[in-house]
Amino acid sequence: MSVLPLNYYSTVEDDGRSEEEKLLAFEAKINRGEKIEPTDWMPERYRKQVMRMVQNHGNSEIVGALPEREWIPHAPTFKRKLALTAKVQDEVGHAQLLYRVVETLGKPREVIIEELLNGTAKYSNVFNYAPETWADVGVIAWLIDAAAIIRQLLLREGSYGPYSRALKRICYEESFHLKHGYDICVTLALGTSTQREMLQDALNRWWEPILGFFGPPDNDSVHTSELMRWRVKLKTNDAIRQEFLDQYVPKIWELGLTLPDPKLCKDEQTGVWHYTEPDWDEFKRVIQGHGPCNAKRIAVRRMAHEDGEWVRRALAAAEHNESIPVH
Amino acid sequence: MNQVALIDLLFRLADDELLVGHRNSEWTGVAPIIEEDIAFSSMAQDEMGHALAYYTILHERLGQAPPDQLAFLREPHEFRNAALTALPRRDWSETIVRQFLYDAAEHVRLECYAQHPFEPLAHVARKIHGEEKYHFLHARTWMTRLAQTDESRQRMQVAIGILWPHALGMFETGQSEQDAPFDEASIMEAWLALITPILVEAGYQVPSSTAIYSRYAAPTPDRIELLAAMQKVYRIDPNAEW
Amino acid sequence: MTDTQWLTWEVFHQTQRGAPHIHVGSVHAPDAEMALLMAKEQFARRQACVNLWLVPTHAIYASPYEDADIFEHGTDKSYREAFGYKVRDRVRAANLNDEDKQEDIPEEA
Repeated sequence: MSVLPLNYYSTVEDDGRSEEEKLLAFEAKINRGEKIEPTDWMPERYRKQVMRMVQNHGNSEIVGALPEREWIPHAPTFKRKLALTAKVQDEVGHAQLLYRVVETLGKPREVIIEELLNGTAKYSNVFNYAPETWADVGVIAWLIDAAAIIRQLLLREGSYGPYSRALKRICYEESFHLKHGYDICVTLALGTSTQREMLQDALNRWWEPILGFFGPPDNDSVHTSELMRWRVKLKTNDAIRQEFLDQYVPKIWELGLTLPDPKLCKDEQTGVWHYTEPDWDEFKRVIQGHGPCNAKRIAVRRMAHEDGEWVRRALAAAEHNESIPVH
Repeated sequence: MNQVALIDLLFRLADDELLVGHRNSEWTGVAPIIEEDIAFSSMAQDEMGHALAYYTILHERLGQAPPDQLAFLREPHEFRNAALTALPRRDWSETIVRQFLYDAAEHVRLECYAQHPFEPLAHVARKIHGEEKYHFLHARTWMTRLAQTDESRQRMQVAIGILWPHALGMFETGQSEQDAPFDEASIMEAWLALITPILVEAGYQVPSSTAIYSRYAAPTPDRIELLAAMQKVYRIDPNAEW
Repeated sequence: MTDTQWLTWEVFHQTQRGAPHIHVGSVHAPDAEMALLMAKEQFARRQACVNLWLVPTHAIYASPYEDADIFEHGTDKSYREAFGYKVRDRVRAANLNDEDKQEDIPEEA
């Protein structure tokens, strides 16, 4: 046995097995329902895919905090102010957990942040839209977090150990976000006519970006089937979108609200929801940086990063190694 | 302590906590280090929570309006916060210095008020003591760390210079001039005795500037701006449920 | 080291005195005191907590999963376990006081 860096990806020394033998053992482990740990051998494509996915998720948390934090100063009532602050704080906390997961795959936090700022790493498209009113805060927390929960509950059963563990806690916290958002929406729906209109307007604007949250339909590629086999992806984008529609459209309609899609309905025979496909060309255009808020989001992150540079420099230089006694 | 003085004291405490908590909550999502972002946001929540506790006493025990109305419906001239707590969120140095000066004051106050003859106040003071202990530990640790490079110490010293007169302004004697048994002058003495050795040992200079009092003066532009942002949604319809 | 690429600290959380410390995650921090300040809110802002341990990640010595077979039992080790002993069955079977036929006593756990 040798000392291994805990929780860090490391190239396992050549143990005499061929690549094929290693791959077979790796896939057998996944088939048995075992998790892959950072120090295990893994195919390079697996490592890159998981890394890209978790990095994207982490970025979505830290960028996703930005539109909502704009409303912290305006939250009406103590309860809303405290809850919104706590929710945005959780998103930052999720980024912390997820960036640590990316680090286990061999990419340091500095690089992760740099890649976000220089645009080489992506984040969820939905955060490139602007929250315009207080009702948007409710719709985001309720429906985007609901969408995220549906996806993350699946991913929690994925094969990469550190990601799966992080998602346990993340899903737990997201359920508070969802309740907080639902509570805001219900309050507005039961409120004055101005409040109802505000909510309906928010829903109209956010519906298409929310449907787009799950991504375009997966093509039936070899790539997708490999990701499914390795339990990096657990269901297709369309299947997850269907789950979301099935769980949340009735809850939205129950509040007497409408959704801006005349085609939206459930085929009671097949259980399949029909809807108008989001404009996927527009989706790609926004991903490529041309959405309403892409530049603003990155600019705020960059400013936060640059403003904090002197602080991190000072801490790095300060030599302090006292330790708290362990009893 | 008569009721007028007690109400005045509680408004000072509550408004300070609400406004400093509001300012600190603005850091959520953009602090210099991810882990610190989380820590700082918790403290902002704690402070706003303390404000709520004080407003609740004002409402339940002293005949004032409910907490949400006190926070979201009073006019700027009715607030009793010290200017320090409304200063805008600027550089991290000013944030940490404000946190240190403010939390040290709160630390001293809570020790006093834990013995306050008005039991509801004493009760809250004892209850939030633990949170405040962490806040002060946090602020003190940061003050010490940021004194250790020339660049950071200089930034911090500038921030101390800017904030000092406003920090002294926290100890403005109450309007009714009946703050007994804990008068502001002796709270300030205890505060100075607490922070001076920490500042000096870390290598900072203690300024000699004098206090700027602002609790009862015309509202500062910072306070007006802060309250306009904070009350914006609630005031769309103060009778609605939000 | 211009960024937070300083030490990482593994965080162990204890919910109450007497309970074990459980690993809950890790933080970036330049030293132990800062690590404590950071870990408290990231890992103990909801769950009850009375104590946190912060351990530099590099101080943890981990056994490789490749060697997980060293923990496997090659031979029967039931002699180490309570369930490896069926004493009550033997006593009953021996039936030493047969005039004093006892009703069935339930097997001990």
